[in-house]
Amino acid sequence: MNDRQERKLDDEFAAKAKAAFDQTVDSLDGATLSRLNQSRHRALEHVNAGRAASFNRQWMPAAGVAGAAAVAVAVWTFNGPPTGTASPSVATDLEIILELDDFEMLENLEFYSWVELDEQLDRA
Amino acid sequence: MSAFAGSFAVSCERERPKGVATLRREEELNRFFAEIERRALRIAEISVRNRDDALDLVQDAMIKLVRRYADKDRAEWTPLFYRILQNSVRDFQRRQSVRNRVMVWFGRGDESDYDPIAAAPDPIGRAPEEELANSEAMSELERAVSELPRRQREAFVLRTFEGLDVKDTAAAMGVSTGSVKTHYSRAVHTLRENLRGHWQ
Repeated sequence: MNDRQERKLDDEFAAKAKAAFDQTVDSLDGATLSRLNQSRHRALEHVNAGRAASFNRQWMPAAGVAGAAAVAVAVWTFNGPPTGTASPSVATDLEIILELDDFEMLENLEFYSWVELDEQLDRA
Repeated sequence: MSAFAGSFAVSCERERPKGVATLRREEELNRFFAEIERRALRIAEISVRNRDDALDLVQDAMIKLVRRYADKDRAEWTPLFYRILQNSVRDFQRRQSVRNRVMVWFGRGDESDYDPIAAAPDPIGRAPEEELANSEAMSELERAVSELPRRQREAFVLRTFEGLDVKDTAAAMGVSTGSVKTHYSRAVHTLRENLRGHWQ
């Protein structure tokens, strides 16, 4: 069989495969189509999120320092002012926060400081 | 102070109105995904042999495309999307392979749960014999395609099922156009050799 005949058979095979594949695509059930629809909308939620994330990165360092100061104040309020040197855990916490480039965590500082306060109250 | 810092950051994200450009881009992406999602799902399903996993992979690929490449030209989205999807499929299969080896080691076996007949599409007005023949033929094709070497499988599904030209297939696979032609040609040759009956 020469090359031209081979290519013709290859093309015929590919066309049959495409037709069979398209049939399975057209016949997807409603539940699957619904999930695809949901996936699409979930993905589209990120259209603005990407731009907001880049906007936030300009402000996060300032917000992060403000948040770190707030955590320190909250902890010192319950632990009392540092005696001499800062307690290892507070100093470690501040170092961690100030070195963070995880902006999602910086956004949740308010939550983390609430958790810390809650634990302090439980211990008291 | 922390409330201010926290709420300031959150309000930046929540309350900023969408601009016209963003809305237009969102609409374009919506149309793009609506057009491609069903074929992408079936292509992923052929590789991973599980519909739920394929749905997760398609969703991840959509999100990654939006996050990383929404600002690219529309013409680049298809090869980029499939590049992301194929990479995700490859990573998934590697994790599955490790998982299966561990399961075998623990004596739990590695039988696949994939049932091609159960995953076959719902019949729509076709005679039962015709539907069964089509399902079996497609199941046979899917099995044969899934057994191809990875690059041959990628070239075949992108060229044949998605209908990408050689240039876009090369972009999606991250290879040269010459490589695409080689992989595709070998894939078709192997499939034609291995499939019988309906496919001859």
